[in-house]
Amino acid sequence: MTALRDYATALSQPTLTGAGPRYDEVVGPDGALRGSWKGLAELAVNLTGSDLARLHAEIDRFLTNDGVTYARAGRTPGPWRLDPMPLVISAAEWAPLETGLAQRAELLNAILVDLYGDQVLLRDQVIPPEVVFGHAGFVRPMARKSAADRRPLVVAAADLGRGVDGSWTVLSDRAQAPSGIGYAIENRRVISQVLPELYREAGLHRVRPFLSAFRAALVQTADPDVVDPRIVVLSPGTHSETAFDQANVAASLGLPLVRGSDLEVREGKVYLREYGGSREQVDVILRRVDASWSDPLELRADSQLGVAGLSEAVRRGTVRIVNGLGAGILENPGLLPFLPAASEALLGESLRLPSVRTWWCGDPDSLAHVVANLGNLAVRAIDRPGDELVGQEPEHLRRLITAQPHRYVGQEQLALSQAPTFAAGGLSPAPLTLRTFTLRYGSVYRPMIGGLASLHDDDGVGSASKDVWVLKGNPTDADQGLVGVLAHTTVQARPAVVPRALDDLYWFGRYVARTEDTLRLLLTTHALSEDFLSRPGSVGGRATSVLLEALERLAGGHRSEDGVEHDLRSLLLDGNRPGSVAQSVSALRDCAQSVRDQLSLDVWKSFGSYDRASWELVRHDHSYQIADSAGRMLNATMALHGITGNMVRDEGWRMIHVGGWLERALQLTQMLRMAVVRRGIDIDRMVLNQLLVAADSTVTYRRRYGGYVRPRTVLDLLLLDPENPRSLLFALTELRRHLGDLKSSTGSTRPERLLDELIEECSGIDLYALVSLDGESRPHLTRQLNLVDRQLLVLTDAITAVHFEAGPPMRPLGLAEGP
Amino acid sequence: MKFQVWHRTTYNYDKPVTDSFGVGHLTPRELGWQFVSTPQVTIDPMPADLTQETDYYGNLMTYFQVTSAHTELQVTSSADVEVLVPAYDEAALARPWEEARPSAQPGVPGAWQAVDFALPSPEVPPSERARAYAAESLLPGRPLGEAVEDLMHRIHTDFTYEVGATTVTSTVEDVMTNRAGVCQDFAHLTLSCLRSHGLAARYVSGYLATDPPPGRERIVGADASHAWAAVWVPGSDIWLAIDPTNDQRVGDRYVTTAWGRDYGDVPPLKGVIFSDATTSTLKVEVDVAPLS
Repeated sequence: MTALRDYATALSQPTLTGAGPRYDEVVGPDGALRGSWKGLAELAVNLTGSDLARLHAEIDRFLTNDGVTYARAGRTPGPWRLDPMPLVISAAEWAPLETGLAQRAELLNAILVDLYGDQVLLRDQVIPPEVVFGHAGFVRPMARKSAADRRPLVVAAADLGRGVDGSWTVLSDRAQAPSGIGYAIENRRVISQVLPELYREAGLHRVRPFLSAFRAALVQTADPDVVDPRIVVLSPGTHSETAFDQANVAASLGLPLVRGSDLEVREGKVYLREYGGSREQVDVILRRVDASWSDPLELRADSQLGVAGLSEAVRRGTVRIVNGLGAGILENPGLLPFLPAASEALLGESLRLPSVRTWWCGDPDSLAHVVANLGNLAVRAIDRPGDELVGQEPEHLRRLITAQPHRYVGQEQLALSQAPTFAAGGLSPAPLTLRTFTLRYGSVYRPMIGGLASLHDDDGVGSASKDVWVLKGNPTDADQGLVGVLAHTTVQARPAVVPRALDDLYWFGRYVARTEDTLRLLLTTHALSEDFLSRPGSVGGRATSVLLEALERLAGGHRSEDGVEHDLRSLLLDGNRPGSVAQSVSALRDCAQSVRDQLSLDVWKSFGSYDRASWELVRHDHSYQIADSAGRMLNATMALHGITGNMVRDEGWRMIHVGGWLERALQLTQMLRMAVVRRGIDIDRMVLNQLLVAADSTVTYRRRYGGYVRPRTVLDLLLLDPENPRSLLFALTELRRHLGDLKSSTGSTRPERLLDELIEECSGIDLYALVSLDGESRPHLTRQLNLVDRQLLVLTDAITAVHFEAGPPMRPLGLAEGP
Repeated sequence: MKFQVWHRTTYNYDKPVTDSFGVGHLTPRELGWQFVSTPQVTIDPMPADLTQETDYYGNLMTYFQVTSAHTELQVTSSADVEVLVPAYDEAALARPWEEARPSAQPGVPGAWQAVDFALPSPEVPPSERARAYAAESLLPGRPLGEAVEDLMHRIHTDFTYEVGATTVTSTVEDVMTNRAGVCQDFAHLTLSCLRSHGLAARYVSGYLATDPPPGRERIVGADASHAWAAVWVPGSDIWLAIDPTNDQRVGDRYVTTAWGRDYGDVPPLKGVIFSDATTSTLKVEVDVAPLS
């Protein structure tokens, strides 16, 4: 039996749980596949449970490789989850939804224009004023003539549910800064690769053209006098719950992803702060920061995410914000009961797409109804998203509502439709909602033909997603019904070089180098410890100790009592251990996330490899797994080197290398400290040999000096050799070259001068003096390494000061009372 | 009466400020009973940007940006203002206070706009203690004017005017507990009392002209900005403005600058700076000089 047949059979059995009936998206009441699935039947029905398990694993691999994450509010990001079975909607079913969504967006836009303008809806009692004035999303600084905007709503999203009768109902509207388009296009990308036959045969609307329309819509939003508008995506940062979505939208549209601190207002205009102190005016901001956090001057004063003066810039018409700063009012469920009347009043049409039945408690009759039905209605506050009131005691709810009735609504709980979803080797039904996206394109609103489906747990919490396939009525229909939209390429987009992004790229370079060097030393140590673990007093055992000490100098922390293996595992896996590989990779990922718009997608594949190597190590406790996982991590790091090798030679690329070579120099001075003590000839030889292995210079050494290792020649190769890419002098010379290539280089910036001095100093090192002994130690070498180390740290500070200085911090006008 | 109003705010910082954004409600409003001439706002250092615009509540809002490095910022506003005694509609004030709840009479002109001032606001959240306190004045069927003035009188009597009793972060609950505060606290308390019974009341900021003590010269700059509350009177364009700090209706010695839901909508001056400074000193000088 195949998975889908099993599913259909199971559905026909009477349920034991007593759960009410739901509309099934795939199987009709007669047990046969619904019309939308008929064309896919042959391929889909043949999928077995093990096929689905394989697809599921492949999807996970794709999503891990792309670094797709989602965080629920207040939690750490987890992997994004995508079910292999798409939600399929036929052209005939979609058509009424499309007109309904377009009308709804038109209506919501008109409501927005009215509430921030003449407020006719309030004056004529179409919408009770409490619903608007009592909502935190009503942004009064935008309710002025100067802020008037005829199209404040450019992208609307809605969550819909399908009831038992198969008709769609809007559960809520999203207008503040709708998320999900980035996830929807990622879902499509992945599903089209793991289900290529089904995808090809389905005859569905591709979503790519929607992105071109989206970009065009943003361009249309700009002042028509601006020829080539500068558009940016304003993000709250990489710790936002939908950071992936924001970055993916930015990258897909070819727009720079910026933060509030990357922008500044001058003379009522918004500028992108660029590297080297120059500025470029911004014409359109695709906003992913909630309005209240967008302007510390006139909105929330405690926000560090916004741009001081942004509201004023909007009122002067120098910048357009998508969606307008006031759009959050539309997410108010208190509006839902009044939409039909508003539609009649503003559009002269009846509302096509119904909203979920909602009672606004500010109305006495509705209040009575809600209070009498607390058991079967969902109670929501009008301006607090989320389900915080779900599961509260009815008595508690009654008290909340009656104290401030205008702040609450009661909503019918729709029995959502269900769809077959992969779980435990087969398909089982899961309830779902559909998120749609509607775009103001030209003079009309157009929904994306497709969307994002969310699966819900029993407690109503989203657990995974599905791709949404809307089939074409006719194979020749244009994708998204769009003809003549110019495809855009990301190449056309002008990159924005903000100091913050350069800072992230510099650290990206540093963490790549740090990870590589730590891994190499760790692998060397592990190989040695394998041989000598049981003989701590032997030459090999003592050399292992020396290497472990070096590793701890690099990574910090102290030797674990639980033995070498435990220590090496912790160095690879413990994200809380400073200097561990896990911590470096996590910091590296943070840097990459925040400049996601500038990096190749392949970067995320490397992170996927790290993750798999970590999982393997957690799963297997053999010693050889340490070497295996560390080796794979090293490969992933080398792949990152390769990827950055293919980048355009711009300031960002140079910054990665500045960071990389600087880190290499710092790591090297630490590693060379292994050679400052004499421990006996056999141990020293072994340590020096391992040092060469860890520095990836064994072959070069042998070619140059033969097989016999001695301190002077090893130091020659690792400190001063101008041709060995693993030597300190080489690293410093490369660093100097990249610093000199930066646009802001004058040849004598402070970092350049410091580095010139350091290079001169190193070039003059007398190797014979350096290795000379005083008792069992080499004081000259120690002194020299300390000196280099100190100068490198001074250099690091100088680079930060010259290249990444973001200007003084933002503070309130009045500070703590001074003397 | 005619006054020349002069209001200067000076900030001194311990380190240079490279960029300073400010928003102020500093210029008195033009009203049916208040006429403003030669209003002026000057900023030192010279701002790179300075504009004025009417805000959502009809107040004149000043926006500025100073981009030259400075350690002292001075914002000065001045205007000549003539104020008449507001012509309160005594007949409307004699109606039962229950009829002045805007949510209950959406058909009355202006009621829908007054609703904005009947709801809780960021700095005046609902308070059960304020509701209970006000209930003793808002007796069933009592005329609006009488009930509101009784509330004002009780606040004046029960609460002590005490500078330093509260801070900018003090809440209505703190004021209820301490039974002390300054004019801004009493205004917020009055709003909380009235709104908790469904009445619409707004926060008003401005100035009160004071006479020097007998036999003394007027000291320039020794006045202060002031705040009070005004309650919606159905059927009348003029809200009943009461000053609980001084236990009197607002008359022709009161210069109205701006109104909003609470202090947060109309602070005289607020802003954002970019600076490494960590401390500042603030000096506010106000002068309301009678003009003949």
